[in-house]
Amino acid sequence: MTSQMLSGVNVVEIAEVWAGPFGCSLMGDLGANVIKVESYPRKSETRNAGDPRIDPRVAEGEGPIYERINTHHHGNRNKQNIALDIRTTEGREVMSRLIKWGDVLVESFSAGTINRLGYGWDSIKEINEKITMLSLAGWGQEGPYLGRIMFGVGFDAMAGHSLIRGYQEDTPEEMIPILHSDATVPLTWIVAVIGSLMQREKTGLGSYIDLAQIEDIAWQFPGIISEWSMNNRIPKPQANTDACIVPHECYQSAGEDRWINIAAETDLQWQSLANFMEHDEWSELGHPWSSIVGRIKDRKLIDDKINEFTKKYDPFELADQLQAKGIIAAPVLAPPDPLMSPQLHARNWFQIIDHPYIPERLLGGFLWKVQPDMPSWDKRAALVGENNNDILMQLGFSSTDIAAMKEKDIIGDTYVEERT
Amino acid sequence: MEQPLVDLRVLEIGGSVAVSAAGKKFADFGANVIKIEPPTISEVRKIPPFPDDNFHIDHGAMHLAFDTSKKSMILDYSTNSGKEILKRMSSDSDLIIIDLPAKDSEELINLINSDAGSSTNIVTITPHGMDGPYKDRVENDLSIFGWSTRSHRHSISGRAPLRYGPYAGIVQIGSTAAAVGIAAVWGRKADGIARVVDISGVEALMGNVDSAFFLWAVNGATQPRSSGQSRGLYPMGAYKCKDGYMLFSAGRDPMFTKLCNAIGRPEVAKDQRFIDPEQRPSHFEDFKKILEEWLITKNKYEAFDHFQEHGVMACPVLDASELQNDPQTVFRQSYIVREQPGLGDITLAGPPFRMGGLHSDSWVSTAAPNFGQHTNEILKQYKYSNDEIIALFRAGVTT
Repeated sequence: MTSQMLSGVNVVEIAEVWAGPFGCSLMGDLGANVIKVESYPRKSETRNAGDPRIDPRVAEGEGPIYERINTHHHGNRNKQNIALDIRTTEGREVMSRLIKWGDVLVESFSAGTINRLGYGWDSIKEINEKITMLSLAGWGQEGPYLGRIMFGVGFDAMAGHSLIRGYQEDTPEEMIPILHSDATVPLTWIVAVIGSLMQREKTGLGSYIDLAQIEDIAWQFPGIISEWSMNNRIPKPQANTDACIVPHECYQSAGEDRWINIAAETDLQWQSLANFMEHDEWSELGHPWSSIVGRIKDRKLIDDKINEFTKKYDPFELADQLQAKGIIAAPVLAPPDPLMSPQLHARNWFQIIDHPYIPERLLGGFLWKVQPDMPSWDKRAALVGENNNDILMQLGFSSTDIAAMKEKDIIGDTYVEERT
Repeated sequence: MEQPLVDLRVLEIGGSVAVSAAGKKFADFGANVIKIEPPTISEVRKIPPFPDDNFHIDHGAMHLAFDTSKKSMILDYSTNSGKEILKRMSSDSDLIIIDLPAKDSEELINLINSDAGSSTNIVTITPHGMDGPYKDRVENDLSIFGWSTRSHRHSISGRAPLRYGPYAGIVQIGSTAAAVGIAAVWGRKADGIARVVDISGVEALMGNVDSAFFLWAVNGATQPRSSGQSRGLYPMGAYKCKDGYMLFSAGRDPMFTKLCNAIGRPEVAKDQRFIDPEQRPSHFEDFKKILEEWLITKNKYEAFDHFQEHGVMACPVLDASELQNDPQTVFRQSYIVREQPGLGDITLAGPPFRMGGLHSDSWVSTAAPNFGQHTNEILKQYKYSNDEIIALFRAGVTT
């Protein structure tokens, strides 16, 4: 059984993509009872593949493609699943009972959508005044951008992060789109909803939480706005460098497309690195590189020297040797490299998940370990509608009711494949 | 409204960016957070930028942002006298977040939880976790990102992998500590069990939803390293317009068709060169030319309005000088200006979420403390006499 910190907390998820669903999985890891209300009959975004001939997100195996897409699996462990058309009368009744059952409701539609569907905060609190409702629209629920659409990559661009994370000499055209907010927003909203539950202990009432993903990104990068407000400068891409630390770079290693990150933050670390490279003189008093001031002046020359050196070594072996000398060094991993980490194996980090439609694989593990109750992957990502009956029975619907909903296609356990 | 975390007492130990970010998530929502800083100066205070590029221990941007609403105490917790103080302070704390080398964290865990029946929730942050062959490794912002699998994916073939913006990974690790930390507090109130949480920075990053490892693990296929502008599922990435760049995520239908309509070229959405998955990559440059011919006549906010009216996922790429003037951030007051004693007005990001309304007072950001500003006050709060406080100062335990 997984951790029990949130035992007894009931979470209802009507969320798409990652920022909502992955946070709900983390709540599940922590012991909450999570029910994912999955879009039906339209597929969830994370179950949509492109053409499987060229879409690398689709795992090999038998069964529906929408059950084999990697973007869906990781964000949906430790939940139950009901596939429900929430726009129908019967679907609304199911939702109403779920809202009564829930302590937390998580939605991630673009701003305004949830109100148009009839599930705005005013309606929700009429059904259950104790519930906490969380909305995750990228620009938040109020303001001139109400109704506009985008996802993580765009919020990154509008928060100023995109322009500081590329290669120093490149234009934004070479800026790699990333989904950083999908990873970080769940961590923030868990604080928000548990904070709301704590407040409910005193007031007896739930709260509405409006989390604008772009504001959470802004929160994470104080250096961007401060460089402008303090010094009237627009920060430029720093790539892998740090203005105050040399060396601080990603260097080539032996082999194709192999790399190692190395940094020496102190004179002592630099001394160890110079010694390892058999150039003790670089750290002896009097040599310009013995001082951080001199090293910063000669950044490129030093990087060139280190690059020539690291090219001869395997990045894992070299990192082992440098770390043994107290030097900051790490191989740059690309899948499947994590499987080579003795550390991750020693900590039993990898998880083996049994799934009916994808081959047995070692998947990534949890974000934390907890004593005395460790997290565990109790429920793999549920198949669409896998728990329809159990959930509906739990909510007090009869077998006849359930059969009628299935007959009217209000619930389901298969999607129509649009592309095969 | 009363701040939601007003009843919580949190100690943060170590002075790193990660532990400071974790503590801020509690402090700005009302928790009583004490930042226990080493006499050797917290890392978070050393990181630029500084106003007018003048170093000051209390004026670094990271410190000013991540230490708001906290109290600062200087304590040498490597000494027995310091440990005694820490032990006393831990007795009424709901949560203690520690970012120290594993062996030091282990020692503090044993100290804090040494008395039977008086344990406290503790979260440790280390690069590789509290056990295993790498537990004593030293990592930083750059190196740990290399482990995360993101660097390699965040790069262009043949060129060096890239980290994200400085401290992106470290702040994410701190946010992870906050998420599980508040769950531990809730759990203890419910079942009386104090938890010890072990956060390995590598696992916190690699286990998150955007991990390249996970994407590989499910399907077993290696995905190619990205390019800036997608050559297959275009337009994805930044494209030049009249006064800067627009960011698009409109490669799939129905978005692609909407985009073609929006630029007055509906025929493109029906052209096999641009929609057949096998032909598409070889016609990227042709499409780019079509899109840029339209874009180059529009400034980014014109283009933003136009594309959004057509239901296309597109938005401007903003730099630091533009953030505060964006209409949405102005409306929501996403950035705030407030006075920092001894410095004047500073600009900070506002709340990461709004509880109880856009401008509710559930989030209150007060000035970041000066180094050791509250040492004396806190020692008195924990019943140390003036003579004892002087003795601790003379012994170098506090300053």
